Amino acid sequence: MATFTRKNAWNQNGTFHNPDLLWYAKGVSVMQSRSLNDQTSWWFFAAIHGNRWPNIPGPPLVPTTPQPSQGLIDQYWAQCQHGTWFFPPWHRGYLYAIENILREIIQSLGGPGDWTLPYWNYFGPDNQYKIPPAFTVQNLPDGDLNPLLVAARYGPNNDGNIFVPLSSWGITQECQKDYDFVGGNSNGNSGDYGGAETGFEHFASLFGDLEWNPHNFVHAAVGGQTPTGRGGLMSNPETAGLDPIFYLHHCNIDRMWAAWNSSGKANPNDPNWLSGPTASGDRKFYMPKPDRTPWQYAPDVVNDTGQLNYTYDNLSLGIPPELAGRDALRLRNFGLTMDETRLLSTMNLNANTELVGANSSMTTLDATGARTTVKLDSKGWETVTKSLTNTFAARINNSPAATNLPDQVYLQLEGVKGNEDSIVCSVSINQQYVGHISLFGLYNASIKDSQHGGAGLTIRLDITKIVDQMHLSGMAELNSLDVLIQPVNIVAEGSELTIDRVSVYRKGLM
Amino acid sequence: MVRTAISRVILGVSIFAWVLLLINPGHIMSMEHCHVSDSGPSVSSLHMLLEMNPIASQLTGWGLMVVAMMFPKLIIPIQHIYARSLRRTRFSASLLFAFGYMAVWMAVGLLMIGVIMGLHLLMPGSYLPVTGLAVIAIIWQFSPVKQRCLNRGHNHLILATFGWAVYRDALLFGVIHGIWCVGAGWALMLLPMLLPSGHTFAMLVVTFIMLSEHLEHPKVPRWHVDFRAKLFRMIVAQIQIRLKEAQE
Repeated sequence: MATFTRKNAWNQNGTFHNPDLLWYAKGVSVMQSRSLNDQTSWWFFAAIHGNRWPNIPGPPLVPTTPQPSQGLIDQYWAQCQHGTWFFPPWHRGYLYAIENILREIIQSLGGPGDWTLPYWNYFGPDNQYKIPPAFTVQNLPDGDLNPLLVAARYGPNNDGNIFVPLSSWGITQECQKDYDFVGGNSNGNSGDYGGAETGFEHFASLFGDLEWNPHNFVHAAVGGQTPTGRGGLMSNPETAGLDPIFYLHHCNIDRMWAAWNSSGKANPNDPNWLSGPTASGDRKFYMPKPDRTPWQYAPDVVNDTGQLNYTYDNLSLGIPPELAGRDALRLRNFGLTMDETRLLSTMNLNANTELVGANSSMTTLDATGARTTVKLDSKGWETVTKSLTNTFAARINNSPAATNLPDQVYLQLEGVKGNEDSIVCSVSINQQYVGHISLFGLYNASIKDSQHGGAGLTIRLDITKIVDQMHLSGMAELNSLDVLIQPVNIVAEGSELTIDRVSVYRKGLM
Repeated sequence: MVRTAISRVILGVSIFAWVLLLINPGHIMSMEHCHVSDSGPSVSSLHMLLEMNPIASQLTGWGLMVVAMMFPKLIIPIQHIYARSLRRTRFSASLLFAFGYMAVWMAVGLLMIGVIMGLHLLMPGSYLPVTGLAVIAIIWQFSPVKQRCLNRGHNHLILATFGWAVYRDALLFGVIHGIWCVGAGWALMLLPMLLPSGHTFAMLVVTFIMLSEHLEHPKVPRWHVDFRAKLFRMIVAQIQIRLKEAQE
């Protein structure tokens, strides 16, 4: 039985009547009073996530001195794991560490000894898609300035109204339906709940589904942009940890992971995941403890919330479980049932991914958006249409159970580079909506001397459903696809993006 | 699976080159010299040296050395080419990439062989040149220029998809990758060649260092004493994992 239970920030209507929020504010205030070079200060903790800070309009007034020693910087700063399969466990340790520091401060202020970090469940009922009001008022009940209020937090419409535009940006809990932490076959960005297996290469690091949606989109929505198109704190991983709402957002992401686990889905048992990046020679995860000594951890010690002695008051999946898997649902469109014993295991283990089309040159995306034509390779695309026809033929032959799954098809934006993470776009092909994309992490991924080596972001969108519909309506014999990418917010002058290539891939057994 | 196959093929080629180097047919891997050159540099001693060490044979040895030591560094870029190319162009694009990469190292090799022969003429059997180069290599190793070269080696071009442009891009990618690789590793590559003896062992050590630094993530270029021992850390971590598994 866990000692600590994390609860909903929207309890008591998300105001300072909620003691979790009131004590959080008081704890944040103390952490903000500590200097940048103190491992237990607000600023040091934010820098653990990212430390490339531009001039930031206050509040809060962000210090840039005194810098800690190079040794401390090398040990702690800029550790955040994005676009890797360590995204969920690294952030769990990060939350645990700051919660311990805050709890010690809160206790020293006379607060509850069992205080926990609250979570912001933007998927909750009523107004819970909005930021809890405690984050937007000027003062604490005792009249002190509210440290939870941040100037550089602009919201999805860039007007300071902070909410998560669930339906208009397509922000969902679909990831909770995933079956596999890694190596899966889902509809998301990488096909994996927690992120693709992370090795040495970073030319195609795809986001895990949990990280892609909702995580990245909530960052973009809350941070938003100034009216001139510059992102708020939450819009960029380098500055996100400076905003107190960050930790409540991640607490919800952590809760979703815990809920996914409690619905019977397992984390990897691969020692290369359990041991963390050290298994491939990369730096260890370190967090400061309240006494300023380092806590070194790896996924194997944060695999389950019970290991850290906490739980959540709500571990429901948040979305009704599908009675049939995604592949079975897909086959129903072809009038087929699925013979799972013959199909799925081979699909997941033996599927090949193959390029079947691409545009011809780099695309620039400005305020008006970008349009490009993806030429389809006749041989490659024929493989896709054949896989569809063969599946369809099975129905004609009165065989109710499919003997093969048709190919999955992806639209991929490769080498997306730019300097403004807050931009969100919608993507369509042949006038059919595919989805929204968030560019959270764009700036870091575009810097040549950063960990990504300047490769930019790789964004994969599943267009299988659209291709299936094209096939069923006899319109899949194509030579090209018309791709339209339109920003839903501002692309300011100087913040234009470039996309090295827009391409189409198939994933199938052939 | 394709990625594993690429790794195996490239490592196989590299190991084959290592075997040839160890056998050292026709002494392609060692600079022969005689008493004429020991007596000091002269036109006749140069002729003698060239007769005993024809440029073609020196270049063959150099090429084998590049294949043995450098090809494992091409695994990730070639996996990248395979992942991002049409099925029918993958293999030829990869070959052209490797060709472009080799061409850069061979051009540099000509220069390096010249330097090595010159030093053999001037100071045959001396450890002085290798000592001087070791000092330069250490300074280069911790310099921001070296870090920048290593960083750019992580820049993987996305090739054109259709037509002749695929092969143009593949060749260009190989040449660019080769240039950054030379920038990062020229001093380390030259070191074993200058050793009067023990160069096979030195080549193994240098290969380990170069592979290890290639595996490191890009970093901000600055003067920094960084041993870039990622490969060593990874081997230790993997051994620990295996031992732990064996105990359970």
